[in-house]
Amino acid sequence: MGDLGGIKRLKIMEVFSEHFKTGHFLSKVDARAKLIVTLALLGMVLSYKGTMFPLVIAAISIVLCLKMHIPVRILALRLAQPVLMAFAVLLLKLFFSGEDILFSFNLFGMELDGHKDGLIEGLLIASRILGGVSLLVAVGFATPFIEFMAALSWLRIPKSFIEITMFAYRYLFMFLEDATTIYSAQKNRLGYSGIRKGLSSFGVLTGSLVLRGFEQSQKTADAMIQRGYTGDLPLLKGKPLRTIELAVAFLIVAFGGAVWMI
Amino acid sequence: MKIQNPKFKFIVLTLFTVHCSLFTASDAHAMHISEGILPFNWAALWFLVALPFVAYGLRRLKILSKTDLSIKPLVGLMAAIVFVISCMPIPVPTAGTCSHPAGTGISGILVGPTISILVTAVALLIQALFLAHGGLSTWGADIVSMGVAGSFAGYLTFRALRSVKVNMTVAAFMAGVLADWATYLTTSVELASGIRGDSPFLPLFYKILIAFIPTQLPLGLLEGAMTSGMVVLLYKKRPDLLVKMRVLKAEEAIS
Repeated sequence: MGDLGGIKRLKIMEVFSEHFKTGHFLSKVDARAKLIVTLALLGMVLSYKGTMFPLVIAAISIVLCLKMHIPVRILALRLAQPVLMAFAVLLLKLFFSGEDILFSFNLFGMELDGHKDGLIEGLLIASRILGGVSLLVAVGFATPFIEFMAALSWLRIPKSFIEITMFAYRYLFMFLEDATTIYSAQKNRLGYSGIRKGLSSFGVLTGSLVLRGFEQSQKTADAMIQRGYTGDLPLLKGKPLRTIELAVAFLIVAFGGAVWMI
Repeated sequence: MKIQNPKFKFIVLTLFTVHCSLFTASDAHAMHISEGILPFNWAALWFLVALPFVAYGLRRLKILSKTDLSIKPLVGLMAAIVFVISCMPIPVPTAGTCSHPAGTGISGILVGPTISILVTAVALLIQALFLAHGGLSTWGADIVSMGVAGSFAGYLTFRALRSVKVNMTVAAFMAGVLADWATYLTTSVELASGIRGDSPFLPLFYKILIAFIPTQLPLGLLEGAMTSGMVVLLYKKRPDLLVKMRVLKAEEAIS
C-alpha cells in the first residue's frame, strides 16, 4: 500500500487550503463577496460555449494563488488530478466523438482517427475543468473555513447542515492524525507486506476510526451539554456587507459577464 | 498486423487513455466528478435530483436531534471518518495502482441511508472546498452517485441479506461491494450524459463503464472486505453501538 493519499509526503495540515489562509491580500475580503463572485463566475464558466473565458478564469485564478504565496508544489499537487482528468476527456472526445476526420495514424497496428469536431468538444470540456477547478482552488486558499461556513449560512444553507459540517471539520485533523499513527504502526509491524495482510490491516484501521468516532461523538455531546448545548451551535454572525466590497464584487461579475457575452 | 475491428479498437484505446489518465496517479480520486466536467444544465439537474434526498435527511436529523443531542456530533464525526477513508488509497492488484474506497456502504449500514446522504454531502463539500476533489458545481452529481446510490445500495443489501438470516460478515461484504459498484455505475451515467455533447448516450456510457472495470471490479471487492472487517470489529468490540444504531437486535448482540 502506498502512503496515505500523499499525506505522508506532506505535513497533514499542509494538505488543506485552510493552512495557507493568513496574511494575504484576499484574507481581509468578506467571504460572502468572494462566494458571490465565485458562484457567478463558475456559472459563466460552465455555460460558456468556447474555451477562451474558462482559460482566462484559470489563468487569473492561478495568478491569484501565486500572489497569495501558495507554494507551486502545493498548487501543482492540487491541480494534477483535474488536469489529468481534462486530458483524459480530451482524448476520449478526440478519438471517439465526431465525424470530421482531422488526422489518422497507426498505433501498435491500430488505425486511429482524430476528429476535428471531437477535438473542439474535448477542448471545451477540458477548458471548463481547468477554469472551474482553478477558481475553486483560488477561493479555497483565500477563505478560512469558519468564514466560509458563515457565508453559506448567509446564503440560507440550512443551519443543521452547517453545524454537522463544522463538527466534521473540527474532528478531521484528529482522525487524519490517528489514521497516520495507526498506519505507521501497522506498516512497521509488516501489516502491509501482502495483499491479504494489507487488507486485514486496512479493515482494522478503518474500524478503529469508526469506533473512535462513536466514542468521541458521545464525549463531545456530553461535554457540550454540560456547557449548555441544546441542539444548536452558535454560528459566526456576519456584519452587513460593506458597500465597497459589494460594489467590487458587482464590478467583477459585470466585467466577467461582459467578457462572457463577447 | 493491422487491427481493423472498430469495437476492439475503441475498447483498447478507451482502456488505455482513460485508465492511464484517471487511475495511475498515486492518489486517484476518480470517484468524484471534477469541477467543470458537467455543463451547467446537467450540473443543475443533478442538484435537483440530490435536493429532496438531502432535505429529507436534514428533516430526519432534526427529528432525531430533538430526542438525542449526540446525533449531530455523531453525524459530523461520521462525515469526518468518511472523508478520511475516502482519502486513503488501497491497492488494486489487477490495475497495478491504488484507488480509494467510498466509505458510504459502511455509513449507510451504521446510520441509515438518509443520514448517510448527509454524511456524504458534508465530506464532499469539505473535499471540494479545501482539497479540490470533486467540485461545487458537481456537488449534486457527486451526492447522487456516492451518497444516494452508494448509501441506499449498501443499506438495502445489508438489510435484505440480514432479513433472510445471511451471516453478518457476508451481508456487510456484499453491502460494501454493491455500494461501491452502484456508485461507479451512477458516476458513469452522470459522466456519459454530461460529456456526450451531440453523440448518442449509450456508446459513451459503455466506454466509460469499460474504462472503470479494471479498477472498480476489484476495488468493489476490496471495499466489501473492508466493510465486513469494520462491521465485525464493531461487533466484537462494541456490539452495544450496533444495537444503538439498530444494526443488530439486542438479543443478537448478547448471543
